[in-house]
Amino acid sequence: MKIQVLLFGPLAEVAGTEQLELTQVPDTDVLRQLLLKNYPALADCAFQVAVNRKLALLVQPLQDGDEVALLAPFSGG
Amino acid sequence: MLYFITTNISTMEPTRHKRKQVLTEGPISPAFIAEAIAKHSSQTGIGAHAIFLGQVRSDVIDGKSVQAITYSAYPEMAEDAFHEIREKAFARFSLTCMHIYHSLGTVKSGEISLFVFVSSVHRADAFAACKEIVDAIKAEVPVWGKELLEDGTHVWKKNTP
Repeated sequence: MKIQVLLFGPLAEVAGTEQLELTQVPDTDVLRQLLLKNYPALADCAFQVAVNRKLALLVQPLQDGDEVALLAPFSGG
Repeated sequence: MLYFITTNISTMEPTRHKRKQVLTEGPISPAFIAEAIAKHSSQTGIGAHAIFLGQVRSDVIDGKSVQAITYSAYPEMAEDAFHEIREKAFARFSLTCMHIYHSLGTVKSGEISLFVFVSSVHRADAFAACKEIVDAIKAEVPVWGKELLEDGTHVWKKNTP
C-alpha cells in the first residue's frame, strides 16, 4: 500500500518538504511515530491529521491511495 | 423513471446552496467590496447587511514590525470547510445571501484579507451570522498565515481564540 502525505505552512517548513510518499503505514498512529522518527523537529509542533480531507479525531486505519495531511493550528483570517 | 426520481430529490433539498470559490489570490480591494455592496441594490427585500473585513495588522514582534502576511492553504479541504460554514449559517439564521472571500498569497499590512458579507431582512440575523461565520473561519479552515517582518525574517501567525 502507498499513501501520500501532505504538509502545509509551518510543518512544511519544519520538515523541509511539502509532500511524502510512504508505504506500509497501517494507521495514523504509526504514521505519527514514523514522521517523528524521520523529522524529529516535528515533535515540537502541534498538529492534527486529516485523512482524505477529513480530520482524523481518533487513530484511523489507512488504506492504499489515501491522502493524509498534517495540519498545524489554523491561522487564517 | 430513475432520472425523474433523482431530479425530484435534488430539488427537494432547500438547505443545499451552490458551492462558491472562497479563496482568492492577493488582497481584497476596497473597489471589489464596494462593487459587492452595489450589486445588492436590486434585492429590495434585504434590510440589513453585516460586513466583516479582516485587515492585516502590523504587529511588532521582538521589535520588528509585520510588513505583510503570506497565506497558504490546503485548498481542497479549505473550500470544503468554507462550504460547511456557509451551509451551517444558512441553516441557523434567516439569511437572504452570503458571500465569503479569503486571500491566498501575500497581503500587505493595511490591506484586506478576509471579507464576510451577509444580508438579511432584519439586522439580528445578519449580525449574529456574521460573527459566527468569522469565528468558524478562524477555527475550522486549514489556512496558515506567515507574518513577514521588516528584517526579512518571518513568524507563523497564531490566531487569538
